[in-house]
Amino acid sequence: MAMYVLFEHASGFGLFSVKEFEEISMLQSQVEKNVTEFGKFAGLIKLHAFSPFKSGANALDNMNCISEGLLHDDLKLFLDTNLSERRENNIRGRDSKIGAAIQEELGITCQTSGVASEIIRGLRYHFPRFVKGLSDQSQSKAQLGLGHSYSRAKVKFNVHRVDNMII
Amino acid sequence: TGGGFRGGIKVYVEPHRLSGVFIARGKEDALVTLNLVPGNEVYGEKKIAVQDGENKVEYRAWNPFRSKLAAAILGGIDNIHMKPGSKVLYLGAASGTTVSHVADIVGPEGLVYAVEFSHRSGRDLINVAKKRTNIIPIIEDARHPHKYRMLVGMVDTIFADVAQPDQARIVAINAHHFLKNLGHFVISIKANCIDSTAQPEAVFAGEVKKLRSEQLKPEEQLTLEPYERDHAVVVGTYRAPAKGKKDEDE
Repeated sequence: MAMYVLFEHASGFGLFSVKEFEEISMLQSQVEKNVTEFGKFAGLIKLHAFSPFKSGANALDNMNCISEGLLHDDLKLFLDTNLSERRENNIRGRDSKIGAAIQEELGITCQTSGVASEIIRGLRYHFPRFVKGLSDQSQSKAQLGLGHSYSRAKVKFNVHRVDNMII
Repeated sequence: TGGGFRGGIKVYVEPHRLSGVFIARGKEDALVTLNLVPGNEVYGEKKIAVQDGENKVEYRAWNPFRSKLAAAILGGIDNIHMKPGSKVLYLGAASGTTVSHVADIVGPEGLVYAVEFSHRSGRDLINVAKKRTNIIPIIEDARHPHKYRMLVGMVDTIFADVAQPDQARIVAINAHHFLKNLGHFVISIKANCIDSTAQPEAVFAGEVKKLRSEQLKPEEQLTLEPYERDHAVVVGTYRAPAKGKKDEDE
């Protein structure tokens, strides 16, 4: 069964395929050992698909869903398009709520525990090197733009300047 | 670096031991940072302009009574692990006053991901970030880093001043997401935010223990007297290899 990892970034969605190991604990130790070196990490994880956001507004729309744990239509379409033999597949991600939605709506097994968090750390280290046309600078620009629009929207509707304490 | 100052008093600015931090020597010495946006001030702080050869260079005074990081530096902290080019995740950014000095320190090649949950302070933070484009404002709860995972890359250092009882856990969960292996953390701990009945020393010891259990190895602890009461700053390394343990790779 092929394993994929979903990585959500300010510039778009990335789907990565993971080298197969007989034992998941083998994979875990390999990832931990090689996470900081791109060459070795890239021997374990390959970019399968990348879909950039179409605009700033589109990125914000997706970010709002991600932060609330909702499956956006763009993400649904992205996974549907790029995982054709879906029952054979197994995705790892960072969010159990979105994982449950993926499983329910697309029928793809989705796990969020264990090795996923370490692989995602590695992807956060090296993401610009996996995606053509992305650089450290352009990734910061995407984060900056999205950080401003997301944060502005958060405080915008709070006209009384009072804090919203949501516990 | 040297030069004149209004009123004829000579002010000299010299680099501090910590890279990116400076000291202005005049009538009174002051901790300063190099203003990333000359002419711009953030919270009414004093600006100090000095002539550096042909160029005029502007610094901003950094008040240790208003900033725990400044208090720690003047208290003689060994390292803040922030220097030109660093990427810093700043938890508890408030209105962005200290954040603006961190932005000066890391400079145009660095980045500050500034997280603040309060909308009231958040507005000010966003405005500070409009002028200083190496600050990425994130109005969100630092307890839930998965909510802002799309916005943050791997960082060299996490600074935390969240004044919450579960602060150690907040720093740990953010470190697991975003802090590089062998990256550093700098945490300001206010004793009575954690436990208002216990002795401050006992509270600090308890927090240090919690950090250890999350692969956050404390290496230095400093109280912030005389600038703050019952405050400590703890600095350490994430995922530091165990002492004496050899590399098992080959």
